[in-house]
Amino acid sequence: MDEDVVHLNVWPGEWDLPSADPNCLATLAYCRFSGVPVKIHKDVNPWRSPSGNFPWMKHKDISQTKVTDIFSYLRKQKWGSDFNLSVKQSADAVAFVALIEERLLPGFLHLWWMERDTYTNITRPFYNKATPLPFKFWIPKRYYTRAEQTIYIGQGSQNISQADIDTKVYRDAKDCLTYLSHKLGDQNYFFGDMPSSLDAIVFGYIAPLLNAPLNSNQLTNHIRTFCDNLNTHCCNIKREFFPLSLEEQKAKEKKKVEETEDTEYPNKKRNMILAGVFALTAMITFAFVHGIISIEVIEEEDPS
Amino acid sequence: MTSMLMEAVKIELGATERWPDNVKLYQQYQVEQITFPDYAACLSVKTFLHMCGLQFTTELKVNAEEMSPSGRVPFIQLGPFLVSEMEPIIACVKTRGFQLCSELTDIHKSEMKAYMALIGNTLVNAEHYLAWFNKDVFDEVTKPRYGSMYPWPLDGILPYMKQREVRKRLASLEWTEKSFEEVCEEVLTCCQALSERLDKQDYFFGKKPTELDAMVFGHLFTLLTTDLPNREFALIIQKFDNLVNFCQRIDQKYYKNLNNDY
Repeated sequence: MDEDVVHLNVWPGEWDLPSADPNCLATLAYCRFSGVPVKIHKDVNPWRSPSGNFPWMKHKDISQTKVTDIFSYLRKQKWGSDFNLSVKQSADAVAFVALIEERLLPGFLHLWWMERDTYTNITRPFYNKATPLPFKFWIPKRYYTRAEQTIYIGQGSQNISQADIDTKVYRDAKDCLTYLSHKLGDQNYFFGDMPSSLDAIVFGYIAPLLNAPLNSNQLTNHIRTFCDNLNTHCCNIKREFFPLSLEEQKAKEKKKVEETEDTEYPNKKRNMILAGVFALTAMITFAFVHGIISIEVIEEEDPS
Repeated sequence: MTSMLMEAVKIELGATERWPDNVKLYQQYQVEQITFPDYAACLSVKTFLHMCGLQFTTELKVNAEEMSPSGRVPFIQLGPFLVSEMEPIIACVKTRGFQLCSELTDIHKSEMKAYMALIGNTLVNAEHYLAWFNKDVFDEVTKPRYGSMYPWPLDGILPYMKQREVRKRLASLEWTEKSFEEVCEEVLTCCQALSERLDKQDYFFGKKPTELDAMVFGHLFTLLTTDLPNREFALIIQKFDNLVNFCQRIDQKYYKNLNNDY
């Protein structure tokens, strides 16, 4: 039945992930966990989404654009992976989501938007590429401002310097990762053998940190050295719920081959031709100037 | 601020006595001035210090907010150091060798931090929302109290400046877009989670109090006992019997022998 399909508009994928945005990624993961019949659109026209944000879920006549709202809506429709949690576990899930929002989010945003390298090489090009034409002039900027506000206004007051906030958000984020790692322990998922909404949200944040071509940074390093179980958790979810389809795999391999060929000398042919033309011109000019070649203009005698 | 301060405190550790006699906790005037979100924060810290069995005196200052190194109350003066807000105070007290959660496992510690974040993320924002953006509460309670210690015309101007600051902060956390009903729903979810976690235990993590207990008491007790024109939050909390009993128990245990000097 077409009516029963949930339409989901998300930011497109990157780095082998189905989406590059943590919220979209969390929603997609949740839908996969619970087998929601979902149709994914990678159309991110902010005028069509009611709040201008993504993910944007549309089911029958109802639209939702916030992760927690989408989860609770899906839960009400009896689609969900949280039904086998005990009451106490559900309470824990609520608390840990709050922990992530308060502790991890500011540091995460700081890494993607405030670190100059990441911003110019990864974040900005991604949003420029993903946003359709007229919007790309202001949408990335808007996200930037929002991230800045969340970090600097949400965290501190006027008595605290920016540098102190920078250290604080990273320290908080690393603490949060450690807490999550302790909570996960050596289980497969946070609450036993079945994935839950908390797993989806954690995956949304951790997967981009581990998969994007980021420079050496505090958060990724912290996960790799101190929270190895989070790393495994993320890889498991990716392997089990988001395996690359055959076409994607082929495309990836093709891209890889092209890249290895190209990366060493990206414009090999063009450069060779240019160099050849340049050398030839230089030699001919030299020959002319020194009189090795000379052109004599012989006026053809009129046959008549 | 806090980070640099904490380093300094760590260096100082061991050099001086563990807990000097003249520790002071600063806050605004309790009866006339303090607004209830600030009061909840102060009560949390005080309860925490009582639970640790530490002595301190409360100093009432009109400009406590401006005196605080982070711009928020409460803050404590410990020897030459000023430490403000709950988390840094807990960390600072820990460096002096007092800790409530030393017996907890790593998982329980993580869970405790998660519930503390839940309160910070939900209840604190909801309190600010109610105090500064609910028209009745702002006009009848928050505005007169916040301006009460200042002469005309400051008593009219300062509350609006503070309101603007709070709005900016809540907007950055996307709380200003919420309607009052949505905020109530957030509070309900938060209380539900707390109530389920507490269940029938004495404290959140077994037989001994932790800083989470101090924080929960500080916020819930304030919301339950403050007389506001809008009692919506108190009504929500009263739906959960175990939380109400929990507040009464802590009140009995820590404040009765202080003659209810909160």
